[in-house]
Amino acid sequence: MGLLIPIVLVLISPSLGWAPPLPLRTSPTTSQTETPPPASEEEPITATDEEIRKPLEEKVARATLPAAHTPAKHGETDGESWVAQRTMVEDYCGWGWIKKEKESWRQARWIALEGTREVCPLPHTYLPRPEDDKNYQYRFYGSFAPYRAYEPQADVWVDVFILKGFMSLGPAKEEIRRSPPAQASSGVNRFAERGANVR
Amino acid sequence: MGLPLQAHDVVLISGGPALRSFEKFKKASHDKYWGNFIDSALTRAAELKKEQPREDQIVWLVFRPSYTSRSSEDQQDYLKIIEERGAMVGLTPIYFDNKDQLFTLLRRDGSRDKPKISRLEYFGHSNKKCWMFDYSNRVDGGALEPLVVHVDDLEKISGSSFTPKAECVSYGCHSGEEFSQRWRMVVGRPMVGAVGKTDYSDGGMPKLSNGKEGSWVY
Repeated sequence: MGLLIPIVLVLISPSLGWAPPLPLRTSPTTSQTETPPPASEEEPITATDEEIRKPLEEKVARATLPAAHTPAKHGETDGESWVAQRTMVEDYCGWGWIKKEKESWRQARWIALEGTREVCPLPHTYLPRPEDDKNYQYRFYGSFAPYRAYEPQADVWVDVFILKGFMSLGPAKEEIRRSPPAQASSGVNRFAERGANVR
Repeated sequence: MGLPLQAHDVVLISGGPALRSFEKFKKASHDKYWGNFIDSALTRAAELKKEQPREDQIVWLVFRPSYTSRSSEDQQDYLKIIEERGAMVGLTPIYFDNKDQLFTLLRRDGSRDKPKISRLEYFGHSNKKCWMFDYSNRVDGGALEPLVVHVDDLEKISGSSFTPKAECVSYGCHSGEEFSQRWRMVVGRPMVGAVGKTDYSDGGMPKLSNGKEGSWVY
């Protein structure tokens, strides 16, 4: 009986799923490395083309850690101030709403925000992504620019606030559900019934 | 012996690139490559040099501030690169910093110093209402008023600065939807513009974006 067990095992072994036998040396074999790569029919890129079109590596300095956060205070934080709430509208130029301390949010103005180099960058540049401070409030120091910004999707002019400093006020109690301005940037074409400007 | 032919200027205008810090996270992200409006203008300059009368001169106007700020962001001296690339086709950029400077550069009286313009072509950001030289560069997703040529500004460009048969082209997005018509009405010369978006991503001359039923119109 003791001799029968190894004999039975040898007989049933092919059905146990062992690895198939290795091919014979004479079997035809293919090797990836031996196959030459197909010749490209496209013209080779010249060194000049390569140089001109080569995109540069992104070098935008922006916080990447999840723990990154906007500083509590930055830039010049003295003088007149405004309360501002970051609001993002899809495909619409601008930063959010801004108002004086005693005004209601219904009186707030929609602004495009312009930073001042080496004095105060925009608050969201400290965050991994621009939308990471959505619905956060700030106290802004600076002034309204004498010029406006053009919003190309909605074809409107919006106010520009030049930021000199800010203080973080934390998350807002609620989102501002108000549409930004939407009036057309230009009136009736007064040249439609006039001759060309040839003078 | 005839009189020498009157020389004219061919004006190519390059607008500026957006900043990647504004554009990087957007679905429709602009200007991954900084030099779209430079390379396209220089490609066109090389073409025009073969076609135009020998006495005519190509004048290349470049909006400087956006290249300066993009240089800071990318830590590259793009103004130097622009000048080097211009030299390869025999052009020197003439920089302008706002639209008033551009209007001054376009003011011509036909004298030797200020020859009339026989052709004007624009490479840069635009929509149906305006050319935006600093789109998404100083403010996110928009352009500042002094750096935008809006249809309401066109009366500052005189048709008398152009030759009677001058041809104008805007290679920006959507110019053919209103800007071209207003240009023709106000400046008095036809301007070809795109209905739909234009695409600079393949290098060289821009083309109409794929997937849209765009066209070039007067």
